[in-house]
Amino acid sequence: MLPNNPSTIVPDAVARHHTHVVSPQQCCSAVVQEIAAPVSTVWSVVRRFDNPQAYKHFVKSCHVILGDGDVGTLREVHVISGLPAAVSTERLDVLDDERHVIGFSMVGGDHRLFNYRSVTTLHPRSAAGTVVVESYVVDVPPGNTTEDTRVFVDTILRCNLQSLAKFAENLTKLHQR
Amino acid sequence: MAGICCGVVGEGDTPAPLEPTPRPSRRRSLDILPLKYIADMPMPPPEALRKRPKLNLRDCDNAIENCDESTGHKVTKKESKVDYDDDVVSETKNVTVSEVEEESPKFGVTSVCGRRRDMEDSVSVRPCFTQGFHYFGVFDGHGCSHVATMCKERLHEIVNEEIESARENLEWKLTMENGFARMDDEVHRRSQSNQTFTCRCELQTPHCDAVGSTAVVAVVTPDKIVVSNCGDSRAVLCRNGVAIPLSSDHKPDRPDELLRVQSKGGRVIYWDGPRVLGVLAMSRAIGDNYLKPYVISEPEVMVTERTEEDECLILASDGLWDVVSNETACGVVRMCLKAQKPPGSPGSDVAADGSDRACSDASILLTKLALARHSSDNVSVVVVDLRRDQRQSSNYNDVN
Repeated sequence: MLPNNPSTIVPDAVARHHTHVVSPQQCCSAVVQEIAAPVSTVWSVVRRFDNPQAYKHFVKSCHVILGDGDVGTLREVHVISGLPAAVSTERLDVLDDERHVIGFSMVGGDHRLFNYRSVTTLHPRSAAGTVVVESYVVDVPPGNTTEDTRVFVDTILRCNLQSLAKFAENLTKLHQR
Repeated sequence: MAGICCGVVGEGDTPAPLEPTPRPSRRRSLDILPLKYIADMPMPPPEALRKRPKLNLRDCDNAIENCDESTGHKVTKKESKVDYDDDVVSETKNVTVSEVEEESPKFGVTSVCGRRRDMEDSVSVRPCFTQGFHYFGVFDGHGCSHVATMCKERLHEIVNEEIESARENLEWKLTMENGFARMDDEVHRRSQSNQTFTCRCELQTPHCDAVGSTAVVAVVTPDKIVVSNCGDSRAVLCRNGVAIPLSSDHKPDRPDELLRVQSKGGRVIYWDGPRVLGVLAMSRAIGDNYLKPYVISEPEVMVTERTEEDECLILASDGLWDVVSNETACGVVRMCLKAQKPPGSPGSDVAADGSDRACSDASILLTKLALARHSSDNVSVVVVDLRRDQRQSSNYNDVN
């Protein structure tokens, strides 16, 4: 499922998080992003389930509606205008600070991404580099193809991870001053 | 029919300015757009926020009926980014009427938030912005407001520079294409810099590149109307009662746009309507850097010779055009202009800032009509009176 050579990118300890059960009416995919910033810096941004707008630029605002940041927390995400959705309700499913794993699912909203579930893992590339892997599984909406759905979601995720890279790299520069 | 329309127009009565002094004219320009709407409606459910399919009404009678419907309609008015040239008063005073140069045309502007939570439209009106040319622009932002705001503040300056540098070899298509390209570059460079914006995403560093805007711009010269369009706002000319589109909406499923996107390796996916990569519902925009090279900022430029039959020009965002046809919009404006006293007669209302009561009434009426038909978007309307001959307007009064 993962691109290139999964075993060299994702250690066995977290590979199981990227193993999704995919039904016939679903599709899955993954996006990979290299970031010139240490894992600790990137993780400090990614793990904030209450503040996705720090790097997800399609998010206009976010409100935690249940929980305090642990597994089970629910947030309501409001999306910027011009996109085919206005709101998404999301649940934090996985948060592993030791192995740098975070996962969430979409449990409501006016998007068409039913049964969306994603996992993001961080991996050190070097002393000052990180590889981020985000994989997901989602229903293919009626009227669309598997390819449609993959292109749409991959576009959003790729944009998010590129913004994450810029943000984390800026943070690193700030810390180095 | 005319009586009903006149009755509706009467609602827009505004006080006439007494003396054209710079400071009071600003207050009057606000008074001249009397959108005293009251917010007493709860936010509609999310489904209501989706844009409705376009209504293709050709029956002018329906327009009249909807005028009545809109009478008591209440909507929320938020910040209206209508930008008048602060020096327009002194410019008006200093204008020397010559055989070539003409007085700046009468216009009216309305820009309202409508049922959306945020106001992301901008409008820019620049009478006599260069060598007797007049500039009108409507910018419908998405993702945030700062790209539309930048277009409002800068695009006319950039176009002016392009016109000046072209000198005697003015070629409108190239000039406007260069202007739009430079505007897009400025937006991109600014999103790469650490400058802050006075908008919601100002705290983000680096700034969001998922923000963009439409841009429909009309440059009106003594003998030409030059319309440059990028996105799905629109310009319509009313000539002898006929609605003539001067722009073509850049929807992703327009056959030539679909082919262009595909030729660049992109895809148009139907996800709540046709969208580039399933994300953006237009195929051209200023900004939106993350969707290049599929979404481009190159305008389509149409140059139209002016004629004696030209009545008015309407520029508006899709908050209007999604629910009002070109023909209906022209019919509404024509009726407002007919109800107007001949220009120059005693008691005619021409505001110090150049806006005109009949044109303002027309733009307000169109906005009310759009809201009455449940437009779910910001609505921005510019109406420009293109009539030249006083005798012609007298003829209209004879008809009444």
